[in-house]
Amino acid sequence: MTELIHLSWIIPLVAILLISIISSKYKPYAAAVSVILGSLASGWLAVSALNGQIVDYSFYAGAFLGDVSIRVDGLSAWFILIINFTALTGVFFGTGYLKAYSHEASKLALHWSLFVLFHFSMVWVCLLQNGFAFLIAWEMMSLSSMVLVIFDHHKIQTLKAGINYLVQMHISVVFLTVGFIWVYSQTGSLNFSAIRTFFQENNNLWLFLVFFTGFGLKAGFVPLHSWLPHAHPAAPSHISGVMSGVIVKLGIYGIIRMISYLQSDFVLLGEIIISLSVLTGIYGILTASVQRDFKKMLAYCTIENIGIIGIGIGLIGMGTRSPLMYFLGFGGALLHVLNHSLFKSLLFYSAGSVFQQTHTRDIEKLGGLIKNMPKTAVIFLVGALAIGGLPPFNGFVSEFIIYCGLIEGIHTNSINQIMLMILVLAGLSAIGGLSVLTFTKTFGTVFLGQPREILPHKPHEVTRLMLVPQYIIIGVMLVIAIVPQFFLNIVYDVLAGMSSKILIDPVSVSRYSKTAAGIGWFSLLLIGLTGFILFLRSLVLKKRTQTIGITWGCGYGTPNSAMQYTGRSFSKPAGKIFDFLLIEKKKYKELNPDEIFPGKRKYDSRYFDFFEYNFFDKITKYLIIGSGYFRFIQNGRTQSYVLYGIVFILVVFLLTIFNILQ
Amino acid sequence: MLSFCLILVAALFFTGVISRTKSILSGRKGPGILQPVKDIIRLFKKGVVYSSTTSFIFQIAPSIYFSSVVIAMLVVPFGQSKGLISFQGDFIFFAYVLALGKFFSIIAALDTGSSFEGMGASREALYSMFAEPAFFILLGSMALLTGQTSFQEIFADLHLGSPISYALAVLAAFVLGMIMMIENSRMPIDDPKTHLELTMIHEVMILDNSGFDLGLILSAGLMKFAIYGALIVNLFIGMFPYEYAIPMFFAIQLGAAVITGSIESFMARFRMSHNAQFIFALTSVSLLIFFGVLMLLGKFI
Repeated sequence: MTELIHLSWIIPLVAILLISIISSKYKPYAAAVSVILGSLASGWLAVSALNGQIVDYSFYAGAFLGDVSIRVDGLSAWFILIINFTALTGVFFGTGYLKAYSHEASKLALHWSLFVLFHFSMVWVCLLQNGFAFLIAWEMMSLSSMVLVIFDHHKIQTLKAGINYLVQMHISVVFLTVGFIWVYSQTGSLNFSAIRTFFQENNNLWLFLVFFTGFGLKAGFVPLHSWLPHAHPAAPSHISGVMSGVIVKLGIYGIIRMISYLQSDFVLLGEIIISLSVLTGIYGILTASVQRDFKKMLAYCTIENIGIIGIGIGLIGMGTRSPLMYFLGFGGALLHVLNHSLFKSLLFYSAGSVFQQTHTRDIEKLGGLIKNMPKTAVIFLVGALAIGGLPPFNGFVSEFIIYCGLIEGIHTNSINQIMLMILVLAGLSAIGGLSVLTFTKTFGTVFLGQPREILPHKPHEVTRLMLVPQYIIIGVMLVIAIVPQFFLNIVYDVLAGMSSKILIDPVSVSRYSKTAAGIGWFSLLLIGLTGFILFLRSLVLKKRTQTIGITWGCGYGTPNSAMQYTGRSFSKPAGKIFDFLLIEKKKYKELNPDEIFPGKRKYDSRYFDFFEYNFFDKITKYLIIGSGYFRFIQNGRTQSYVLYGIVFILVVFLLTIFNILQ
Repeated sequence: MLSFCLILVAALFFTGVISRTKSILSGRKGPGILQPVKDIIRLFKKGVVYSSTTSFIFQIAPSIYFSSVVIAMLVVPFGQSKGLISFQGDFIFFAYVLALGKFFSIIAALDTGSSFEGMGASREALYSMFAEPAFFILLGSMALLTGQTSFQEIFADLHLGSPISYALAVLAAFVLGMIMMIENSRMPIDDPKTHLELTMIHEVMILDNSGFDLGLILSAGLMKFAIYGALIVNLFIGMFPYEYAIPMFFAIQLGAAVITGSIESFMARFRMSHNAQFIFALTSVSLLIFFGVLMLLGKFI
C-alpha cells in the first residue's frame, strides 16, 4: 500500500515536468493521463480503506515537522473518491472547453500543470494527519486553485476576483495555523491525534470555533462566504465546477475531521452550527434567486448547499445524546457532499458550455438556447432538478435523510431542541421552495422562449468531449437515486470506523436503509409512470391533428422577443419581499412631465451582496484610508529602504546585546 | 389501495360540486356535477395546437405534472389503511413530488415565451414556496404529537391522546384547506374565473396548452383537490371503523367543496401584492398548532 502513496505524488511530479515540455496539443492529454493514474493510485487506497483496510504510514520529515503520519480511513476515502471523480470529469470537460486556446502554449502549460498539482494537493489534504504538513498541502491547494481561477488574467475583473480569493484563503490559513499552534502549545505534538488529547483535557468550544472559522471560510458559511460569488464566475467553467464541487467540500472535510476528535458532549456546538447553516442556506438561495449572472447564481447556490450540509453537521452535534440523529446527520451531510459535488459540477459544466457558445453570462441576453443546444439544455435541466432536491434524482435522497434526522430530533425531550428542529424544518422546506424558483427562472430564461438578443455567433451544441463527462455524471447521479441504500451503508461503515463511542442501533440503521431502498423504487415508479403516460400520449396524438400556431398574446399576432417575461421580472416579487436582505440599487432618469416624446434612456438595476455591501466593503474602505497614513513608509526612494534595513539590523543587534529577546 | 380508489371517486365530483354550489348561490341553473369530467374527456378527443416558440419541454411537462400528482396521491393514506406508498417520512416525498410537477408546469409556461405566462409562473413559484414551511411545521408538530413519522401512522395515532387534539385538528384543517386553495389556485388566492391575464396565476400558465395536454393538466387539478380533501379527512377519521369512515370521507370532501364554492361566491380575491404575506401568515397558524402540541405534551409550563 505504501507504494501507492508514493505513486500518488510521483505521478503528478512527472506529469508537471512533462506538461511543460511537450507541444501544447498534447498538454491536456498529459494532464488527463496524470489525473487518471493519480486517481487510480489514491482511489485504490480509498476503496481498500472503505473495505476496512485502513492504511497507516508515517515518515520522518526533518526536525521541525517531526514524524508526519499519513492515514487513509473511511472519511478520507469518501472525500478522496469524490475528489478523484470530479477531477476526472473536470479534466476531460476542460480539454474540450479550452480548445480555443490551443495556440497559447504558455498559458496552457501553466494551467494544466497546476491542474495536476491542484488535484494532487486536494488528495493529500485528505491524507495528511500532521498539522503543518496539512497546512502545506492546504496552501498548495489554495495557491494552485488561485492561479487556475485567473486563467483569463488580462481581464481586470478576473484578477480582482483572484486576489480576493487569495486574501480570504489566507485569512482561513491564519485561523487554522492558530488552531494547530494552540494544540501544539498544549500537547507538544502537531499530529491530529494530539487534537483528541487536547479535547480530552480542555473545553472544546473555543478551539473548535477557531477551526470552524478557518474551515468555514473555505466552505463558505455565511458570513464567511464572500469569496465564492467572485471566484466562481471568474474561473473557467471546469475549474469552477471542481472548485464548487470539491474545494468547498474540503472545508466540510476539515470540520467533520475536527468533530471526530471531539470528546465530550457538544450539543451547544451543534446548535450553533445548525442555526448558522439554516441562515446560510436561506441567504444563499435568496441571493441566488435574483442574480443575473448565471455562474454567480450557481456560486450562491453552492452557499445554499453548504447550508444544507451544515444542517447535517449540526445534527451530528445535537445527536450526541441520540445516536440515530448522529447517524442521520452524518449520513445526510456526507451523501449531500457527494451529491452536490455531482450536480454542481454538472451545472457548472453545462453553464460553461453555454458560456463557450454565447460568450455571455448574463441571462437576460440569452433565451431559446434549447433549440440550438438541446443536449446541454437537458443536462442543465437534470442538474437543476437534482439540486432542487426533487425526486427522482439524487438530491432528494440526501435531503430526505437530513429531514429524517430533523424529525428524529423532534422526538427528543429537550424543548430547546424541539423548537430549533421545527424552525430548521421550516427553513429547509423554504430553501427547497426557493431553489425551485431560482432554477425555474434560470433554466426558463436561458434555454426557453425566444432569443432575447442577437448573439455574435450562432450557438451550436458543444463537442462530444465536453458532453460525455456530463453524461457520466448524470449516470452516477441516477445510480445514487435508484440504489441509495448502497451509499447509505457505506456511510454507515465510515461512521462506524470513525468513532467507536457512538453506538448506533443496527436495527434502526437497517430500517433507514430499507426506507432509502424504497425511495429508489418509488423514483423508478415515478419515471416509469411518466414514461407510460408519455407513451400513451404519443399513441393518442398520432390519431389527432397537430397544428403549429403562435403563442397567445391576447389576440396580438406578432409578439417579439422583448415582450417575453424576463428573468428579472420573474424573481422581482421575491426580491421585493426580501428587500431587507437583497440590496438593489437602481440608476435611471425619471421622465419629465414636459418630455412629450421621450428619447432613448437607460435603466440599470443590480443586486448587491448584503454582507459585502454593509460590512466588508465598509471595513475595506476604512482599512484603505487607515493604511493611507502609512504611505510615507513606501515612498519609492531607495535611500529610505536602505535606511529601514539598517534600522532593522541595528535593532536586532541591540536586542541581542542586551539580551532582551531571551 | 382503498384511499387511492376513494380519492379517485372524490376527484370525479369535487370541482363539479364547487361550480354547482356557485351556480345555486348565484341563482343560476348551472352545469351538472360531472361536467368537469365530461370536459376533460372531450379534451382528450381533441387535436392539439402548439406555439412555434415552444420546445419539447412544453410537450412533456403536462405528462410529468400529471404523473407527479398521481404518485403523490399514492402516498395519501385513509385512516387505518396505508397508502400504496408508505414509509417513514413519506410526507417529505409527498411535498417534493408535488414540487417536481410544479417545476415542470412553471418551465412549460416559460417555454411559450409569452408576456403573460411568466407572470403566472413567477407567482406560482413564489406562493408555493411560502406555503411550504406551513405544511412542514404542521406535519412536524403532528409527528411530535404522535411520535410517528409517516402519514398513515401519524393520522392513525392522532386522536388516541385527548379530545383537545380535535381542536388542533380543526386548526390543521384550516391550514391544509388554505394550502389546498393555493395549490389549486382558487379563491381567495387566485380567481379561476377572471378574464384578465394580468391577474391570473394558474390559468395564465396553461393558456397555450390544448387538447390531450390540457386534459392531463385539468385532471391532475381535480385529483389535487381530492388529495388535499383526503388529507383533511384523515385528520378526523383515524379511530373510526370503515363503516363510519367512508361516509365521513365523502361528507367532508363534499363539505370542503361546498365551502370552496361559497367562498368563491361571497369573497373577493386578495390583493395580488399582499398574497405572499397572506400565505406566509399560514406559517404562523402552523406555529400555533405547534405550540398547542407542546402544551398538550406538557413540555410548556
